[in-house]
Amino acid sequence: MLRKYWKAATLLGVVLVSLLISQVEGSFNQYIFQIVIYAGINIILAVSLNLINGHTGQFSLGHAGFMAIGAYTAAVLTRDVVGSWGMWIGFPVALIGGGLMAAVAGVVVGIPSLRLRGDYLAIVTLGFGEIIRVIIQNLDFVGGARGFAAIPKLTDFFWVFAIVGLVMWSLSNLVKSTYGKGFLAVRDDEIAAEAMGINTTRYKVTAFVTGAFFAGLAGGLYAHYVTYITPTQFSFILSIEHVMMVIVGGMGSNVGVAFAAVLLTVLKELLKLVPDLLWFLPEWLLRILENRMLLFSILLVVIMILRPQGLFGEGDWVRRWWRKLTGRGRKAEATA
Amino acid sequence: MDDLLTVDKLTMRFGGLTAVDSLSFSVPADGLHGLIGPNGAGKTTVFNMITGVYAPTAGDIRFNGSSVVGKKPFQICQTAIARTFQNIRLCPTLTVFENIQIAQVKNLDYGFFTATTHAGRFRRDEERVAAETFEILDLFNLRRVAHEKATQLAYGDQRRVEIVRALATKPKLLLLDEPAAGMNPVEKQELMELIKEVKERFNVAILLIEHDMKVVMGICEHIVVLDHGAKIAAGPPAAIQADPAVIEAYLGEATH
Ligand SMILES: Nc1ncnc2c1ncn2[C@@H]1O[C@H](COP(=O)(O)OP(=O)(O)O)[C@@H](O)[C@H]1O
Ligand SMILES: [Mg+2]
Repeated sequence: MLRKYWKAATLLGVVLVSLLISQVEGSFNQYIFQIVIYAGINIILAVSLNLINGHTGQFSLGHAGFMAIGAYTAAVLTRDVVGSWGMWIGFPVALIGGGLMAAVAGVVVGIPSLRLRGDYLAIVTLGFGEIIRVIIQNLDFVGGARGFAAIPKLTDFFWVFAIVGLVMWSLSNLVKSTYGKGFLAVRDDEIAAEAMGINTTRYKVTAFVTGAFFAGLAGGLYAHYVTYITPTQFSFILSIEHVMMVIVGGMGSNVGVAFAAVLLTVLKELLKLVPDLLWFLPEWLLRILENRMLLFSILLVVIMILRPQGLFGEGDWVRRWWRKLTGRGRKAEATA
Repeated sequence: MDDLLTVDKLTMRFGGLTAVDSLSFSVPADGLHGLIGPNGAGKTTVFNMITGVYAPTAGDIRFNGSSVVGKKPFQICQTAIARTFQNIRLCPTLTVFENIQIAQVKNLDYGFFTATTHAGRFRRDEERVAAETFEILDLFNLRRVAHEKATQLAYGDQRRVEIVRALATKPKLLLLDEPAAGMNPVEKQELMELIKEVKERFNVAILLIEHDMKVVMGICEHIVVLDHGAKIAAGPPAAIQADPAVIEAYLGEATH
């Protein structure tokens, strides 16, 4: 009985604990706390991208675009529509509105994935993200290139980690179900999947729409945390960071990808401290160390050489450790 | 016509090459038919047209009385035609169990939202899928490898897993593309016996591609012989074996 509901119970637990922490979040070190919030938002982005890239095998470089749509839509909603509805109703409505807008964009981007694959799809999705950015730059009612300011600070620990719980729970459920095995079949062998009666078209679009929805939620959370957003924040560099989290985490493993999201968020912050901590190094070396894209790229190359399956890919130590701890064998898991 | 599958003047051209040339034949609902011919004769291309991978240049394919030309491969599978591939196409990152699972996606009672929440009908449906998967794996003596990566099995086992996967879609017509390829004569004979058993047990019509004429002689009731895309003979095994045109085609191949 307990085992049957343990996952739903875990989700409920995460939500309740998040609520408790959000009540006392003012007393934390604000700098550390900000990193925790960013880590949570990045988990949502990375795990949702993992459905598209990792599980369904569609190389998307457009996640920043979905995030931007969610961020701007939610910001417009809290400013113009739900502003007076109060945080407990207005904010989730704004977030969901942002998620739904991004999901609609997910349909539009998902359609090329039906014809293109690999590098070509990556280029098209990258182009999509950039188009979104340029469009926003030219929309006056959201501030254009100057950015969207004075967004109410509604995002707190509760909202971020309740949604982290939701995305982990629902997407892990999804890929464990027989229905969800269809995503993996599309990734592994599209021709075989079709021949076995799987509507690969629908699966690909579903992956894009679901991934985009959660990226939209993450965008809304981000906007209502930083309170000031500009189109340049959502450039393709950000999409590449999301892809890196998926690759470092080990394509397909949700827990691994969540770990990687936290790891890279912290690493990014540490890099900002480099000039202060390593003041004795020559100026040119500091500049190199500070350049996160450069360091992230090196990290990526090293990981691809040493552990091509990602840090937490198949047969990794986290899984083994988790199995030992819970006594849930591989066989029991698959036949349960 | 009572035939389950009817192929009518089917033609496939790739540029200047006519891979299949106005081919006609049919398979009854309880048939175990063979499609044989030398390498490059166009056998796999026929399967690819029946299953919607290629759109035929001309001609018609009727299944259960209605045309399947223009349908997508997954829709054709849903009308109860399943196949295996000449170069085994199992999902490499999935276990044997999961490879059988994907064949059952089309028979699920629940959809996306139930899959994300595991609520409602989920458990009942998943239990049914697991029970059916193990039942069919047992029949083929494959339960012992259920949780191993499918592509890490011995070659013969991979071939059998692929047949199991096709059967798990619950077909009325099963297309097997050189299921005995790469096996030694003893294994080939065993597989042919198994195929005969499958036909009875699952009440399914079978169309079997084989390169080696001798292998199919023992089990097929009716054989169509292709050479350079055209039908050069059709009939019961004994007649095929004695047909001068067939001997000529195979001898021609041997001297190449
Ligand atoms: N997609 C394709 N494009 C071009 N030619 C093809 C294609 N598929 C098959 N062919 C050609 O069609 C002919 C028949 O191939 P195939 O059906 O695979 O033969 P078989 O299965 O009898 O060995 C061969 O000459 C092959 O090269
Ligand atoms: Mg062939």
